[in-house]
Amino acid sequence: MKSKYLFITIGIILLSIFPIFIHNEYYVHMVERILIYSILLFGLDIVVGYTGQVSLGHAGLFGIGAYVAGILYFKLGAPFIVIVPLAIIIACIFGLILALPALKVLGPYMAMVTLAFGTIIQILINEMTFLTEGPLGIKLLKPVIFGFQTQTIHYFWIVLSLSILSLIVVNRILKSRLGRAFEALRDSPVACDCMGVSVYKYKVYAFVISAGFAGLSGCLYAFSEQYISPNTYSFELTVLFLLAIIMGGRKTRLGAFIGAAIIIILPQLLSDVYLFRNVATVLAAIIIVGAVILVSKKLSTFKKVFVPIASVISLVVFSYIIKSIGDWRLTIFGCMILLVVYYLQDGIVGFSRNFYISIFSSKNKSRDDVELSKLSNEDAILYAKNSSTSKILLNLKSVLMQFGGLKALNDVDLIVKKGTIHGLIGPNGSGKSTLINVLTGIYVPTSGNVEFSDKSIVGQTSAKIALSGIARTFQNVQLFSEMTAIENIMVALNHTYKSNLLEIALNLPRFKKEEVNAKQRAYSLLKFVGLNELANEEARNLPYGKQRLLEIARALALDSNLLLLDEPAAGLTAPDIKELLKIISRIKEHGITIILIEHHMEVVMAISDTISVLDFGQKIAEGKPKEVQANKKVIEAYLGAETA
Amino acid sequence: MDIFIQLIYSGIALGMIYGVIAFGYQLTFATSSTLNFGQGEALMLGAMVGLTLSNLGVNYWLIIPIVCIFGLVQGSVVEYFGVRPAIKIKSEFGWIMSTIALGVIFRNLAENIWGRGTYRFQGPVADEPLKIFGANILPMEILVVIGAVAMMLMVEIFNRKSIYGKAVIATANDRDASGLMGINTSLVITFSYALSSLTACFAGVLIAPLTLAGASAGGSLGLKAFAVAIVGGLSSGFGIIVGGIILGISETLTGFYISTGYKDVPSLIILLIVLSIKPSGLFGKTTIKKV
Repeated sequence: MKSKYLFITIGIILLSIFPIFIHNEYYVHMVERILIYSILLFGLDIVVGYTGQVSLGHAGLFGIGAYVAGILYFKLGAPFIVIVPLAIIIACIFGLILALPALKVLGPYMAMVTLAFGTIIQILINEMTFLTEGPLGIKLLKPVIFGFQTQTIHYFWIVLSLSILSLIVVNRILKSRLGRAFEALRDSPVACDCMGVSVYKYKVYAFVISAGFAGLSGCLYAFSEQYISPNTYSFELTVLFLLAIIMGGRKTRLGAFIGAAIIIILPQLLSDVYLFRNVATVLAAIIIVGAVILVSKKLSTFKKVFVPIASVISLVVFSYIIKSIGDWRLTIFGCMILLVVYYLQDGIVGFSRNFYISIFSSKNKSRDDVELSKLSNEDAILYAKNSSTSKILLNLKSVLMQFGGLKALNDVDLIVKKGTIHGLIGPNGSGKSTLINVLTGIYVPTSGNVEFSDKSIVGQTSAKIALSGIARTFQNVQLFSEMTAIENIMVALNHTYKSNLLEIALNLPRFKKEEVNAKQRAYSLLKFVGLNELANEEARNLPYGKQRLLEIARALALDSNLLLLDEPAAGLTAPDIKELLKIISRIKEHGITIILIEHHMEVVMAISDTISVLDFGQKIAEGKPKEVQANKKVIEAYLGAETA
Repeated sequence: MDIFIQLIYSGIALGMIYGVIAFGYQLTFATSSTLNFGQGEALMLGAMVGLTLSNLGVNYWLIIPIVCIFGLVQGSVVEYFGVRPAIKIKSEFGWIMSTIALGVIFRNLAENIWGRGTYRFQGPVADEPLKIFGANILPMEILVVIGAVAMMLMVEIFNRKSIYGKAVIATANDRDASGLMGINTSLVITFSYALSSLTACFAGVLIAPLTLAGASAGGSLGLKAFAVAIVGGLSSGFGIIVGGIILGISETLTGFYISTGYKDVPSLIILLIVLSIKPSGLFGKTTIKKV
C-alpha cells in the first residue's frame, strides 16, 4: 500500500518538474493533453468501467466543456476562475438532460441514445453560429489569473494540479458508498433495487458526475489548444475515448492515464511510417515471444494464441505495404479495439496485474487494510420498528398477476401477521416466486391491492418498497459477484448514510464516521451468519451455501420489518440447514416477520407459524402446519388426485 | 403547396430506405439480441461497390444481385469477427464495441479505396420528374419505394415459408431450445447478419442515384435508421415502415424550411423522446424480466 503512494508521489513530482528541464513546448503540450484526456477518462471510467454502460456521448460532453469555455471567454471575457466551475456545472446539466431518458434503457439502446446526443451536440455547435462561430471556430489565449497572464509552463501546472485533484475526488467517490452502488448495479440490477439502491437514480448520478469531469476536461482543452472548432468533437473522438478506457484498463486510474497516453502518442507515432514499421515489428516480436512462453508453460493453447499472432504478423506485413500511414489511422484504431475487446479484456493494467500474479503466484492481498476483527460487535440486527398498533403487517387483497393469457397469481388473498413466520409452499410453477416479485415491486400486479403496514405499495419502485421495510433473498442467488462479502452488505447499508457528494469528495468527518459505522455493522452481520472469516472474499468465490447465507445477511442490513426468504435451504447440506434454522429463529426473536418459501418440508413445518399453499396461482389452503399437512387439496396438489 | 407535396414524396422515399436498414437491425436483433452498429457502413459499401460496377459499365439490374452477394459476405465477416466472440463470452460491451470498430474500419477502408469525395450514381430510370397531384416526383423515388417494400416482403416470405426461414424464426423465439432441436443456431445468427447486410447493401444501391455515393455517407444513416427501429419497435415489421416515413418526411421538411444543417436533428430528438416515454418503441412489445 505504502509503495503505491510512494510511486504516485514520485510520478507527480517528475511530472511537475519535467517542463522546467525540457523546454520543447511540443512535449510539454503533449503531456498536458494526456493529463486533460485523463480527467475525462477518469469520469468515463465511472460509466463504462463501474456501471458497465457504453456511452458514445462523451465527446459531446467534452465539446460542451470546451465551448462553454470558448463562448464565455470570447463573448463575455469571463475570467478563468469563473469559467472552470461553470464548464463543469453546465456539462453536468447536459449530462443530466441526456441521462434522464438514456438511462431508462439498457445496453445497445443506451449506446445509440448517447450517440444520438453526441451527434446533436456536434450539429448544434456547427449550426449555432451566433453563439459558437460555427465552423470558423473560436480562438482563445492562455488564461489570465488574478491579473497574471499565464505562460505555457504555468498552464501546465494548472492542468497538472487540477488533474491530481480530479484523481483524488474520483478515488474518494469510487471508494465510497457511491462507488459501491455503481459496481453493485452492474453486477445485479435487480438485487440492487431490492436493497433500496435505485438503479436508475445511481446510474444518473454516475452519468452526471462523469459529465462533470468531461466538462472540466473540455474546458482545460480549449485553453490548452487555444483554438476550438466543431470537427474535433466527433464520433471518432468518442470511439478513441472508449479505446483508451478499455486499452488502459477499466476500473483503474492508472489505466485511464495509460489509455490517454496511448491515444495521444499513437497518432504522432503513426505519422511516421518508418517508425510505425519498427514499432509493429517489435510489438509482433513481444507478442510472439509471450505466446510461445504461455504455450510452453501450458497456460494457453496454440488455438487461443493463434489469432493474436496472426494479427500482429499481418500488421507487420501491412506496415510494409502501405506508403502513407496517416490515411489508415482509423483502421488501425479499429483493429486495436477488436484486439483489446477480445484478447485484452482487462486492459494493459489488468493484464500486467494478472501476469504479475501468475508469475510470482502471490496471493491476492486483502482488499481492505482496516483490521476487521478489531471492530466492535454490537447486536447486528435491529429490532423491527413497530409504528402501528395493527397486528397485520401485510395484506394482499385479490391480487391478480397476468402474463398474456397466463394467470400466475389468480385472485390471491393473503394476510401475514406481525412477528410470525409465514410459510409459503406449493408445487413448482404455482406462483410463489411471482408473489415475492409482486411484493417487492419487480412486477406490478394486474389488479388487486397489496397493503404493507396499512399502506398500499402497488406501483411503487422496488427501491422504495425496499426502503419502506421489505427485504428479500433470491431463489437464484443474486449477489454482487465481483464485490467482497462485506461490500455486498455495505451496499444494502446505503440507507444509513446521510452524507452528500460534497462531503464524500472532501472526505468530511460525518462521511468518515458513517463509513466506519457501516463497516462495523456489516462485519457484525457477517458474524451473525458465520461468514466473518470470509469478509474480504469476493462473493463469486464463496461456496453456494455460504452465498445463500450472505444474501440473508445482506437482506438484514436493510433493517426491514418483513423478510422474504425465497428457498433459503435450496442446495444446503443437512448441517447447514440446521444452522439456517437457528439463524431464522434468531431473526424472528428480533420481531422481524418472515415469509418463507421452501421445498424442504421439514424446514417449513418445523418453524412456520402459519402456512399458505399455492397451486396454479391460487391459494388452496391455509392454516397451522398440522392442518395443512392433513388437507386433502394439498395432498392432491403434490401427489395428484386419486382416480376412482 | 407543390413544393410541400414534393418534400413529402422525397421524405417517403428516404423513409423507406431507413425502413430497410431498420429491418436489417430487426433481423439480427431477433436471432441474437445484437445489433450491427456499422449497419450504415454496410449501406455505404453497397453503394460504393455498385458505383464501381456501374463505372465498369455493368447494367444497373445486374448490379443489384452482385451487390446483394457482396452484402452476404460483408455481413458474415461482421458476424464472424465482431459478434460471434462476444456471444461466446456473453459480453454486450464486446459486440457493441467490435461492431463499432468494424464500422470504423470499413469506412476508413472505403475512404482509402474510393477517396473522400462524393460521386453521382446513374440510376436505371429517367431523371425527368413525373407530375403526381401537381407535384414533381422522380421515377427513382417510386422505384425506391417499390424496391424497399419488395425487399422486406421477400425476406419475410423466405422466413415464413422456407424451412431455413423457419430455423431463423425458431432461433428468434428461443435460441437455446432451437439449439437442442438440432438447429445450428450460430449458423442462423451468421445468416441473419448476412441477410441484414444484404438488405443494407441493396438499400445503398437503391438510394445512391437519389443522393450521392460517398465513403462518409454511412454513419448518420445507421443512426437515423436506428431511430426508425426504435420508433417502429425492434419487433414490428409494420412499425418500421411507419417510423421510416415519419422520420423521412420530418427530415426533408426540416431540411427545406429550416436549414439543411439541422435536418438530422428531428429524428434524433424523436429517438430521445420515444425512448424516454416508451423504451420498447411505439409498436414494440414490452418484455417481462425474470428473476
